[in-house]
Amino acid sequence: MDKSFLDQTRLAEFLQTLRLFGELHGPTVSEEGVASFAPLNRDSLLRLDYRRTQIPPKKYLIPFREEILAYREGSYRESSQQAPEIVLFGLHPCDLAGIAYLDRVFLGDRPDPSYASRRAKLTLVGVSCEPDDFCFCNESLGSTACDLFLSAVPEGFEITAWSAKGEEIAQAAQEFLVKASFGTGNRSAPSPLSSRPGTGSDSSDSSDSSDSSDSSGATPTCRGVRPQDPQLRFSEHPLWQIFAERCVSCGACSVCCPTCYCFDVREYPGLSGGATRIREWDNCLFLSHGEVAGANFRAIRLERLRYRFLHKYCGFTPLQGMTSCVGCGRCRKVCPVDIDLRELFTEPAAPDTP
Amino acid sequence: MSQVSFDTHTPFGATLLKRTALSADTALFTVAPERSALELLSAFVPGQFLQLSVPGAGEVPISPADLPAADGSIDLCVRRVGHVTELLHNLPEGARLGLRGPFGTGFPIEAMTGHPVLLLAGGLGIAPLRSLLCHLLRNHSRFGEITLMYGAREQRLMLFREELAALARQGRLRLYLTVDFAPEEPGGNFSCAVGLLPDLLKGFRFDAPGSYVAVCGPPPLYRCLAADLERAGVAPERIFFSLERRMRCGIGRCCHCAIGQQLCCIDGPVFALSELKRIPEAL
Repeated sequence: MDKSFLDQTRLAEFLQTLRLFGELHGPTVSEEGVASFAPLNRDSLLRLDYRRTQIPPKKYLIPFREEILAYREGSYRESSQQAPEIVLFGLHPCDLAGIAYLDRVFLGDRPDPSYASRRAKLTLVGVSCEPDDFCFCNESLGSTACDLFLSAVPEGFEITAWSAKGEEIAQAAQEFLVKASFGTGNRSAPSPLSSRPGTGSDSSDSSDSSDSSDSSGATPTCRGVRPQDPQLRFSEHPLWQIFAERCVSCGACSVCCPTCYCFDVREYPGLSGGATRIREWDNCLFLSHGEVAGANFRAIRLERLRYRFLHKYCGFTPLQGMTSCVGCGRCRKVCPVDIDLRELFTEPAAPDTP
Repeated sequence: MSQVSFDTHTPFGATLLKRTALSADTALFTVAPERSALELLSAFVPGQFLQLSVPGAGEVPISPADLPAADGSIDLCVRRVGHVTELLHNLPEGARLGLRGPFGTGFPIEAMTGHPVLLLAGGLGIAPLRSLLCHLLRNHSRFGEITLMYGAREQRLMLFREELAALARQGRLRLYLTVDFAPEEPGGNFSCAVGLLPDLLKGFRFDAPGSYVAVCGPPPLYRCLAADLERAGVAPERIFFSLERRMRCGIGRCCHCAIGQQLCCIDGPVFALSELKRIPEAL
């Protein structure tokens, strides 16, 4: 794979090149200190030193609420919304892994038309990251699940194209990219991500990164978290009871999870006789999720909490056995009662006999 | 099932042909799908479900109560119980509807060939089992003895009872009926036991190791019946339960019908007891 070097002083030009390929979006931090992916109308909005956005990039592929069908003159038709071309810049490897997982769910057999049309128009540009205390992935070295990946190296970025579109972008930017072959052992120097020049904003007091300690030591990993035997891990382990006593079923962990995608479907009549069917994010921690006529299959909080993590770590048909946690740390960060699933995995498995 | 050549996301059109009241809150809706969908629906296997759309109200999973008729029309037995079904019950004949499907797994009609079949229906669970019953009766030479045990809360809530009684009188079906509560007005030409389905099963002598069993009814019934059937000697691989969940999408995406690590809409709704035993929250 061809690699090239982007000097950090040329970042603004690079962003300008990206804008040729679609509406440029990237990590920003609001006045209230909330990090989010948003349009980069000005380069100064970009905050590449962000740790994680509150809402993951899934919002670009599965909007919180979207019209899926319209009923008019006696028949249902797919709602045709033209998704704009978007270049999403600055995604960390964990978020890229999240999108790769969603691709498997929504583009497998019976591709979802709405997701597919949005995905086809989304260009992903990843950037290497520095983990903080909430992170638990071990993929900080890079990712291939994108069109283009920028690895922070001294004085700039090493750029690798991972798709035809990525190569096209690199081609368009070639006048200020330096073709280079990099050794793999040059990561000891400090990353430019910690003091970002060229973005026009000072990155010293981002509230989103204020609670991070740049521990370059042993970063806990999530990919090391094995689903193990679901029957042991997800049955009667006493930690579930402890978690459930704290959990308030707020559902924040699911909202901010880059791979939580479950949705509800509703239909609303129109004033002029037609109807609109929408789908919107749902949440398995809510009581209504397991409802059936006359019963609820997950009526107690412990069951709902355990169910969510069974799905997260052990997967469903057709992706059974696949861990969809990407270790982004959002759920740990937002949980109001400090539930940390990693505790479960560091505990010995529940004994066979109760 | 891997070859999916139809649009599973957009309902095809259908027309409400006829509504036949079955009880105070339950009716049989005869629905004519548009011509282009007939071939699709002819692949229906008893136990599968359709997503029925009532425009302006939404979609509900319904398991047809019969195989598609010669003209392609489908019978859907629906209780007035929520937002969508309430509106459905108020629709005039000729109203436009939508359908998607059929989805999910059906009862193993091939494996049942040559074996006696016991059907256990509780309440509205008679609807999905009726399509299986229709299949068995129309191909009765290929199956062993057919027995239906059907329990309802009370006699006037017993659906299809005249039809079932007629089949039993013709000797085409062994029929056992039970109600939770004894009828208040005695008389009539209709008699049945008083008690729950498991009570019926207790005194029942049948070729347990050779039989296939299909069960559909309210969830609390299942755990109890599962144990009784196994104790009677039916292999768990031959006991099939149709599970009810609120399928929203029908194609394994929305996760509303998840049971353990399975999805009711694509792995079910019909599951063998041997499978369900491996899923902690299934029953």
